[in-house]
Amino acid sequence: MRWPTARSLRTTIFVAFSALILIVLLGTLGITQFVIGREAVLALSGDLRTTGQVFVSLLAERSTRLQTNSTLLASDFALKRVYATHFNPASYDAETLASAGLSYRQRLGVQLVWMTDEAGNLLAASPARDPAGQSLADFSPLKEALASQSAASGLVEVDGKLMQMVAVPVLGPEVIGFLLLGQIVDDTVAGRLKRDTRSDITFLSASRVYASSWTFPWRERERVGAAQLATLLHGHNDPNPAVSEIGNRRFLALVVPIEAHLPQPLYALIQGSYDDALAPLHTLQWRISSIGILALTGALLTAMLLAGRITGPVRLLVDAMHEVLRGNLQRRAHLERADELGFLARSFNEMVSGLEDRERIKDTFGRFVSRDVAAAVLDGRVPLAGDRLEVSILFQDIRGFSALAETLDPAALLRVLNRFFTEVVAAVEAEGGVVKQFTGDGVMALFGAPQVRADHVEHSVHAALGIVDRLARLNILLQADGIPPLQIGIGIHTGEVIAGLIGPDERVEYGVVGEPVNLASRIEALTKGMAATILVSKDVAMRLGPGFVLGRAAVLPVKGKTQPIEVVELLSQPSSS
Amino acid sequence: MYLHLFKARLLVLLALPLAAVHAANPSVSGSVTGPDGSAVAGAVVFVQTPPAAATVTPRTMAVVDQVNKTFVPGVLPIAVGTSVRFPNHDQIHHHVYSFSPIKTFELPLYKGDDAPPVVFDKVGVVRIGCNIHDWMSGIILVLPSPYFAVTGADGRFVLEDLPNGTHVLVAWHALSKLKPEETAQTVRVPEAVSNVNFRLPLAPPRPRPAMHGLRP
Repeated sequence: MRWPTARSLRTTIFVAFSALILIVLLGTLGITQFVIGREAVLALSGDLRTTGQVFVSLLAERSTRLQTNSTLLASDFALKRVYATHFNPASYDAETLASAGLSYRQRLGVQLVWMTDEAGNLLAASPARDPAGQSLADFSPLKEALASQSAASGLVEVDGKLMQMVAVPVLGPEVIGFLLLGQIVDDTVAGRLKRDTRSDITFLSASRVYASSWTFPWRERERVGAAQLATLLHGHNDPNPAVSEIGNRRFLALVVPIEAHLPQPLYALIQGSYDDALAPLHTLQWRISSIGILALTGALLTAMLLAGRITGPVRLLVDAMHEVLRGNLQRRAHLERADELGFLARSFNEMVSGLEDRERIKDTFGRFVSRDVAAAVLDGRVPLAGDRLEVSILFQDIRGFSALAETLDPAALLRVLNRFFTEVVAAVEAEGGVVKQFTGDGVMALFGAPQVRADHVEHSVHAALGIVDRLARLNILLQADGIPPLQIGIGIHTGEVIAGLIGPDERVEYGVVGEPVNLASRIEALTKGMAATILVSKDVAMRLGPGFVLGRAAVLPVKGKTQPIEVVELLSQPSSS
Repeated sequence: MYLHLFKARLLVLLALPLAAVHAANPSVSGSVTGPDGSAVAGAVVFVQTPPAAATVTPRTMAVVDQVNKTFVPGVLPIAVGTSVRFPNHDQIHHHVYSFSPIKTFELPLYKGDDAPPVVFDKVGVVRIGCNIHDWMSGIILVLPSPYFAVTGADGRFVLEDLPNGTHVLVAWHALSKLKPEETAQTVRVPEAVSNVNFRLPLAPPRPRPAMHGLRP
């Protein structure tokens, strides 16, 4: 298995998909955390506010019920009669009043019953109070009842306890006194309120806790100090609930002011469990995470599958291309697909076929012309219009060829010739020259065309020396086979020619035309007469640097030309084999 | 002793309505007004100390009726010693009672004329009510003498048959902020017998249970 690298398409797709899904997943989780957390808080806050309103309503209802009961009680004729006795000190019956008070306490399940005269002076109380006869005219709710001469109610503190109290007038038929009933607001009440609303409630002021639904030990009243109370109440002006922590649990708390006649303002602290409110959120987050991971896995598998469908064929094409680059032009990419990749593969195959054809042509072509020429022609580097080039032309001939032809049979003769020509072509091409033509028993080579070479003269001379060298070695081999040694003559001339494609389009030939061509041929012909192997023209000789050994010079007439040419013999250097 | 004179005065008055002939016992008239001069109706003006010589025989029986779940009259002035009957002319029962110290009494649920009369033998204010109808309330003003009058809607009163001499008149109203003795005015009969004016500051009426407009 190939390890994924940064340059692999498959890895890129894989990583891109993974990153995308991870971002979506984390984004979703983040958003749900934020949104739902906020929603949970809002919902809980709403609950708390509603609970606050419910509390206030419940208290009001209790008060109303108490007031109704009190009013009914105050209408009792017997009670009125006993109340009326206070007008006459002689018949005033305080004990009867007190006993009636006890009876009413039990009847209604209230915690206190007070009876006053029409001015608010205490006549009797159950449970008993000292001193009897004290004025309660400034004590709410009696104060309000006295002022309005009708029923009044409110929350008050009596002996350190929080009480809902009601004061109703006793009519006989005008107001002859007031009846006060009080019911306590204690932990039981708070507990009942909690049961109905699922929120904890605590009635407290800045100096004490009156009642609470809490069962936590922390709220032991005596130990709750002013500082703690202040902390609890610090949000009392804020209509929005605030998060607080008690023990290890978090709560949202709302402080609701409650109207009361107390030395310090009364508040209801309503608390709902924050952790419970957020429980659904956590569940949701777990679910989202699970689904997300499943989705991620699924998506990755899909990604891998898809990637495979794309990267597989791509790899196939890439492998094929590598092979083609290494030189295997027979390699094809086999992809039977209808899509773009299939088209790519087919195009690839066609292209490689084309390359293969071209190579075959070059090869084939190159067998008939030098590879340089073939390449130059195939590449279009040979201008059809022709070029004036300065070249060196080398003509080489085998001496005594006819005699040789008689000695050997045609097949053997050709074999020898081809062996020789192989060496010649090697020597020529080693010097960057081009064998233009095989003239039966000879060769015409070009230096400086079709590829321009600056030092074509030296190359041509080196090539000639190379031919001679190689021939010497070949002759040894031939002699071993019983074949007589070959003898050759080489003529080299340099000059300006016109080079290009000669001939009609169907049978075009790369060739050079000009006087130097003929002269080179003539110089070669002169080698036999001079018994020299290599003859170069004066022009050539003059262009040679040091290191070449020159021999005899001569001025020889050229057939068909009025001007004789100067030739110089070139001697082989001692071979360094 | 003065009876025939009383009858004679009456005849003279009838015969000579326009002549301002004063007989031996003239009437005293005047008005009761509030501090701003508005007429005060339903005020009782009476002689505080009963004169030695009585010129009228007080009634022995007075009536407070119960009609349409209301005491009629709402305020009944009587001379001390008078008996009061409480007929019930409603179709329903009433239970009349009073806790007033000068007369505490009770007429348990009855209809028609079934209840016995009640004698009021102490001077003072008696507030009566009905035990089963909280809105019903009335006042019986037990006065020291038979000389009293109630102001009408115009706030005017006429006190008749007063014996000659100096009398102290006082005015009472259910809402008066002044005690009757604080409103005392001296009148000499037969002089200065008209336009005796009492100014009474009144407190606002106290809220009472409503008869109508409650839940049925």
